[in-house]
Amino acid sequence: MHRVASAGNTSNSVRPRKEKRLTYVLNDADDTKHCAGVNCLAVLKSSAADGCDYLFTGSRDGTLKRWALAEDGATCSATFESHVDWVNDAVLTGSNRLVSCSSDTTVKVWDGLSEGSCIKTLRQHSDYVTSLASAEKNSNVIASAGLGGEVFIWDLEAALAPTSKSGDATEEDCSNGVNSSGSSLPMTSIRTISSSSNISLHTQSQAYIPVAAKGHKESVYALAMNESGSLLVSGGTEKVVRVWDPRTGSKTMKLKGHTDNIRALLIDSTGRFCISGSSDSMIRLWDLGQQRCVHSYAVHMDSVWSLASTPTFSHVYSGGRDLSLYLTDLATRESVLLCTKEHPISQLALHDDGIWVATTDSSVHRWPAEVRNPQKVFQRGGSFLAGNLSFSRARVSLEGSTPVPVYKEPSLSIPGTPGIVQHEILNNRRHVLTKDAAGTVKLWEITRGAVIHNYGEVSFEKKKEELFEMVSIPAWFTVDTRLGSLAVHLDTPQCFSAEMYSADLNIPGKPEDDKVNLARETLKGLLAHWLTKRKQRFGSQASANGEAPPGKDVSTRNLTGSRVEVDGNADNDSAVYPPFEFSAASPPSIITEGSQSGPWRKKITDLDGMEDEKDMPWWVMDCVMNNRLPPRENTKCSFYLHPCEGSTVQILTQGKLSAPRILRIHKVINYVVEKMVLDKPMDNINSDGTGGQVTHPALGGDGLFRTGLKPWQKLKPSIEILCNNQVLSPDMSLATVRAYIWKKPEDLVLNYRVLTSR
Amino acid sequence: MGATGSKLEKALGDQFPEGERYFGLENFGNTCYCNSVLQALYFCVPFREQLLEYYANNKSPAEAEENLLTCLAELFSQISSQKKKTGVIAPRRFVQRVRKQNELFRGYMHQDAHEFLNFLLNELVDILEKESHASKSLTASSPEKVANGSCNGKSNGVKKEPLVTWVHKNFQGILTNETRCLRCETVTARDETFFDLSLDIEQNSSITSCLKNFSSTETLNAEDKFFCDKCCSLQEAQKRMKIKKPPHILVIHLKRFKYMEQLGRYKKLSYRVVFPLELKLSNTIENTDSEYSLFAVVVHVGSGPNHGHYVSLVKSHNHWLFFDDENAEIIDESAVQTFFGSAQEYSSNTDHGYILFYESLAASKN
Repeated sequence: MHRVASAGNTSNSVRPRKEKRLTYVLNDADDTKHCAGVNCLAVLKSSAADGCDYLFTGSRDGTLKRWALAEDGATCSATFESHVDWVNDAVLTGSNRLVSCSSDTTVKVWDGLSEGSCIKTLRQHSDYVTSLASAEKNSNVIASAGLGGEVFIWDLEAALAPTSKSGDATEEDCSNGVNSSGSSLPMTSIRTISSSSNISLHTQSQAYIPVAAKGHKESVYALAMNESGSLLVSGGTEKVVRVWDPRTGSKTMKLKGHTDNIRALLIDSTGRFCISGSSDSMIRLWDLGQQRCVHSYAVHMDSVWSLASTPTFSHVYSGGRDLSLYLTDLATRESVLLCTKEHPISQLALHDDGIWVATTDSSVHRWPAEVRNPQKVFQRGGSFLAGNLSFSRARVSLEGSTPVPVYKEPSLSIPGTPGIVQHEILNNRRHVLTKDAAGTVKLWEITRGAVIHNYGEVSFEKKKEELFEMVSIPAWFTVDTRLGSLAVHLDTPQCFSAEMYSADLNIPGKPEDDKVNLARETLKGLLAHWLTKRKQRFGSQASANGEAPPGKDVSTRNLTGSRVEVDGNADNDSAVYPPFEFSAASPPSIITEGSQSGPWRKKITDLDGMEDEKDMPWWVMDCVMNNRLPPRENTKCSFYLHPCEGSTVQILTQGKLSAPRILRIHKVINYVVEKMVLDKPMDNINSDGTGGQVTHPALGGDGLFRTGLKPWQKLKPSIEILCNNQVLSPDMSLATVRAYIWKKPEDLVLNYRVLTSR
Repeated sequence: MGATGSKLEKALGDQFPEGERYFGLENFGNTCYCNSVLQALYFCVPFREQLLEYYANNKSPAEAEENLLTCLAELFSQISSQKKKTGVIAPRRFVQRVRKQNELFRGYMHQDAHEFLNFLLNELVDILEKESHASKSLTASSPEKVANGSCNGKSNGVKKEPLVTWVHKNFQGILTNETRCLRCETVTARDETFFDLSLDIEQNSSITSCLKNFSSTETLNAEDKFFCDKCCSLQEAQKRMKIKKPPHILVIHLKRFKYMEQLGRYKKLSYRVVFPLELKLSNTIENTDSEYSLFAVVVHVGSGPNHGHYVSLVKSHNHWLFFDDENAEIIDESAVQTFFGSAQEYSSNTDHGYILFYESLAASKN
């Protein structure tokens, strides 16, 4: 029912689009919290005795965060923002290197202790990257796995080898480094290519290709590596645990037993034992030496999604879809329910004597777990023996009664903000109604990325009906909420199809009929900071480079560019109107890509002005810098204006008229009035417009509607306009009349009549 | 003509079932697709009885406008009320009506029997729904009276239940399309109704294995991911079809006509597909086996899709009969297996079971 086709949700589709898209993500006011489920956790223990421990969290909101941990709480000390889709897994390797993987098909390497700088983007996967594994004692080895059965083993040193001159390795440069597997030559800057004139094929370091472990016929959902990096295990929808030699990528064995997707894997330090957790609700302990399953534990009532083991591999902590966290003694099969959550458990991480638990909710909690002496937990009672048949899930000692969790409260909480789970674009195409995971309903103005109403916990459907407006504005953007926030997608040329009168947006100092293009103003608002930076950076040099500073050679372009339309007034081009001013306190992030490398994400205030056509779509640059909009479908509406049947007034000719779609009916009334009063001389001019593409001079140019109050208007007769025998409100636009009253594909027919009553 | 009838009569002798009529149907030029389906439907006893009952209740010829339903009812009534036990009848009015109604069947071309059956059942349902609608609007003042007494919509139910006619009661089953997101593992289920199951077939297979394939899991992945409402994003998902409500009369259509991409045309698959006389449906939601008994088979004779002939095998009062347009003869039950298909591609036997009619054993006991 909700197949891929659904509009507005194709943003992460791999299908090539005609033009690159620009997306902006409306960040929540509080940047120090995740706003979508947490998929992964990693703990960095301080090397110094008095140092601070850190927790890294990776979220469905597309970011990773670093939390400085103290006895009484955790503070967000950095946000790692660059992935453009869910962060699915993260591992720490070496002293402080953070590696993350995402549904955006990339693996990113970060300096974990930095302010959030991405060292390198590894583009090798062609589908979502679901899991990572590192080798504790070999910080150079990383394995990544994902959908489509792709498994890669990376030599980080080789992968991170500088691609251009080191030193200014900004994120943008890095993402060029390793290009997708398909392209033969990495498309780096000219600098790089010239510096390597001996480029033959893949001899260059930038053409580093990881070892591929080939053999999975289906998607991989779990991965683990032993501490020396000599053994890799993977599991997924094939329901088998595959064992690999990560040095060569060759298969060593295949372990069968699970009856559903494998979602979690662990290997002990010696590489002899492996534990797997599956959607069949079972946990299995495998002896890799004997190549067999030595134990299966029926502990959970539903899928097992995450595992963590004590350092000695004597006990396993497991969490899953049944919201429960269990501790199981692998030898005695004794199991105990530690705690229950409100959401399915997606990831676990042991930390000293506690365990961090991440769920599909945006907050993370730490629970006591007696990691150093798990036996202590069992002494509290309430344990049972794990069954070994998934169907029965028999708990021998408990005879069907639900176990009582040992712990009721977490010892530490890192709250998140509830993510948006439902949305509706309102008819005015500027407001979007949202509902978050907590049930709060809010109204957003997407042209400035702000919440304009918080309705609290009310019915979304009712509010939607309440806010219904009979207006028709072209769909100039699409929206999705996979990141827990509103992500607004702009695609050219359709995003430039919506216009509004400046007056209706309360933009002062404009002529009455001045129109603004919503997408253009929004882009200007989004890139205002970038434009300022760019001007600072390039100054007068910009024009010498042929990059026209806004408003300068607009007139010449207007003459030469035949199909190019230049709207508005050059003087005000760079000025951002208030309805399009994005907050600097909680700036939105943009996700986009240019002619090179892949998509990236950055806060609009973090743009440094260096971004150019290689990083941003040309049409965005053209719009913001040169004030040029692409050719697009006609924004005019053709219509006929006829007298009502039986009406005695008959002053207008029958030709087809044309006016902006957003023209209001009261303008049409004015037009009729003027025709009546001015009588014949004016009429002669108008009768020329006889349908077809010929634009009615008066209406098309908007000229007459601008006329101020003239003496004869005091005698103004009352006119009303009808469509399909329905009297139209003067506030309606032609587009609205067409959509809601005319409802036909043919040209709109309006009727007018003089009001008899005064 | 008469000779055939008497021959069949002689063959049955004392065993000729009380009140039963075995009549061949005249062919009006390639109307065997129609005749074979009509015989199968005539010997679908619950359907026949309900149609005759309907005919008896709606026999006022003055108001009755001729439609496919009245034509079919008239034909069945004509057969059942014959003085002779065997013979031949010309379904002239019915065939004329079919040709009038649907231009697809107007020509004298070879037609697809399954398409015809589908068209006929849907047409019958449409007529019944229209009639019920008309009678409902007449008796709108009395809300108690609901057509067929089948759907008494509860006052709180906003959605109007679709009308369940006696055609539905006989043939309609419900399939559930289950999709499980592989990330959050939420299962989304969507129900859809069916009058028949169209099964893909394989060489040397059975109905049971075809049904198993029909319900097998398909993964939505790569470019074809599933938009999960819970994840608010595209994720991999597993999809499968299960039978939620098995129909009383299970009609199975074997997809013997397959479009061959490389040939640019349809090809007939003569695969051997075993259809048992007693069938157990196991791919149901409740996992309770429903048992069925075979009572009719529409057989396609010929090697290609655009020509050939249709005949039918029918089980009536524990005898198997073979109907070939005008002809009707008794056959041995063991002869049914000669219509399974052939294990070799080019075989002289071109008579293959195409549409199978099974009746639920559970329901007939009630």
